[in-house]
Amino acid sequence: MQVTETNAEGLRREFKVVFPASELGERMDARLKELSGQVNIPGFRPGKVPATIIKARFGDAVRGEVIERALNEGAQRTLEEQGVRPATQPKVEVDEYEAGQDLAFTIAVEVLPEIEPADFAKYTLERLEPVADDEAVQEALDGMSKQYGKLETVEKKRAAKDGDVLVIDFTGRVDGEEFQGGKAEDFHLALGSGTFIPGFEDQLIGAKSGEGKDVTVTFPADYGNADLAGKEAVFEVAVKEIKESVASEIDDEFAKQLGHESVDGLREAIRGQIESGMKDVARGRIKRTLFDRLDETHDFPLPEGMVEMEFESIWQRVQQDKEAGQLDADDEGKSDDDLRAEYRGIAERRVKLGLLLSEIGTRNNISVAQEEVNRAMMGQVRNFPGQAEQVIEFYRSNPQAMDQIRAPLFEEKVVDFILEMAQVTPRKVSREELIAASEEGEEGKAEKKAKAPAKKKAPAKKKAAAKDETPAKAEASAEKKAPAKKKAALKKKAVAKGKAKDD
Amino acid sequence: MTRRYFRKIHVNMERMHDIIRAPVITEKSTRGSEHNQVTFRVAPDASKPEIMAAVEGLFGVKVKGVNTIAQQGKVKRFRGRLGKRADYKKAVVTLEEGHSIDVTTGI
Repeated sequence: MQVTETNAEGLRREFKVVFPASELGERMDARLKELSGQVNIPGFRPGKVPATIIKARFGDAVRGEVIERALNEGAQRTLEEQGVRPATQPKVEVDEYEAGQDLAFTIAVEVLPEIEPADFAKYTLERLEPVADDEAVQEALDGMSKQYGKLETVEKKRAAKDGDVLVIDFTGRVDGEEFQGGKAEDFHLALGSGTFIPGFEDQLIGAKSGEGKDVTVTFPADYGNADLAGKEAVFEVAVKEIKESVASEIDDEFAKQLGHESVDGLREAIRGQIESGMKDVARGRIKRTLFDRLDETHDFPLPEGMVEMEFESIWQRVQQDKEAGQLDADDEGKSDDDLRAEYRGIAERRVKLGLLLSEIGTRNNISVAQEEVNRAMMGQVRNFPGQAEQVIEFYRSNPQAMDQIRAPLFEEKVVDFILEMAQVTPRKVSREELIAASEEGEEGKAEKKAKAPAKKKAPAKKKAAAKDETPAKAEASAEKKAPAKKKAALKKKAVAKGKAKDD
Repeated sequence: MTRRYFRKIHVNMERMHDIIRAPVITEKSTRGSEHNQVTFRVAPDASKPEIMAAVEGLFGVKVKGVNTIAQQGKVKRFRGRLGKRADYKKAVVTLEEGHSIDVTTGI
């Protein structure tokens, strides 16, 4: 086998490989000999078929097989010998071949770029440590007390107002006729709840208990019952009682009701809840800023094939969204070219970060242990109560799905690793500050990219953050040759998940 | 093998195709190929001179001799009744030195 490099431009490599006819012939003979022991031809006992007859019968098929193997082997050996780390599946093309002649073919492949990770110790990042202030806790507590409040009849006569619950009898008529479902007694109607057709509840504001009132409303045109849709109806309403909801007292009693020792315990629990929710946001923010920093401080050529693949998968989804009429609000009205340019930028970023993270990971021997994967898998299982076995079976029989679990874990580990080395300054923030900060981060980013209005970038960024993990996985599992399709599918899922989380 | 002299006879093209039915490709027949012999199934009523003329005419070779076997069809039972497979004739044709027929390619 003879290998010559014909092209080494940027990340592209092209090799011309020539297999001499003699080598091919040897392989064919070996294969034919192997076959002669197996085939069954009438007139011959198995294994007694003369070589000439086997050759006449199976020659062509064996030749095809041998050539295919030669191509595969040639590609593999070439890449190995030349020390090329392919980024994409190598493209193999036969230049010329005729039976009995030398086999010549070209291998075109893109290599992984040499990545020199920056000095993370120079990174200065800010870790926001959310603190739930007393106000927020109080607010949550108030909300709860209201939720667990009870209705109490208003003793003194007063006009009904928004938020009250009225106990009413009513009879509805359309054109003087009563209709099905238009009559009820002792109905509890919460004003402002929107239970009834629009206008009904509004007209009862100001009513007093013991009072009768006629309410005239028009059924909306798209009302469920076609007979009534668009018709005007008169409801005779008798208000029997006005009730208002009274928040329950915030005391130890209330806390016990919710399963806590005391009010203080309850407060602590609420605080913990709020903080853990905010921690995710804070984590998301520091990750995002870290990714931005990584993006800025690294510059290496990207394999076009990978970018193209990534872009295709995004673009496909965009097209689907478009057809379903669910395009991101800020994507609407943009020309395809604009969108393409924008999403290509995102695809490039993802590929870049993916390669970078996997490189950092392999350099520093970061790996995800099977136990960790299992733990994460059990987490998934919990999302499907009652189907635990099917879910586990699914992952067991589906290494791709396993990788999908592994990828985010790997990403988290690498991020943790970098954060450990970087100079991270903690800062305590309240919830408002946190939200403001994480939004600002996104906006700032968008401006820097200066490719689209700031608003646009926000969701895109999220997607990017969620997706960054996937290329990392592809690398990590050394499955560089995994079919593009599968990767794409995985990514889509990852995006969906990431989005859900962000929302 | 002593050369057999057949009387040269004329056989028309149509008859030639009738005479030569198919090559016999078996372990036994391939053994003959070491001695420059080729085996055919031939029409049961074909004579040795006819076979010689047909092989020479169809394959463009020179024939040294012809041996024939009239093979009786086997008696087979089907649903309790006796039946008989068709009889056939095989011809082992010996070619002159330097001549050959590739039986796998057909005419």
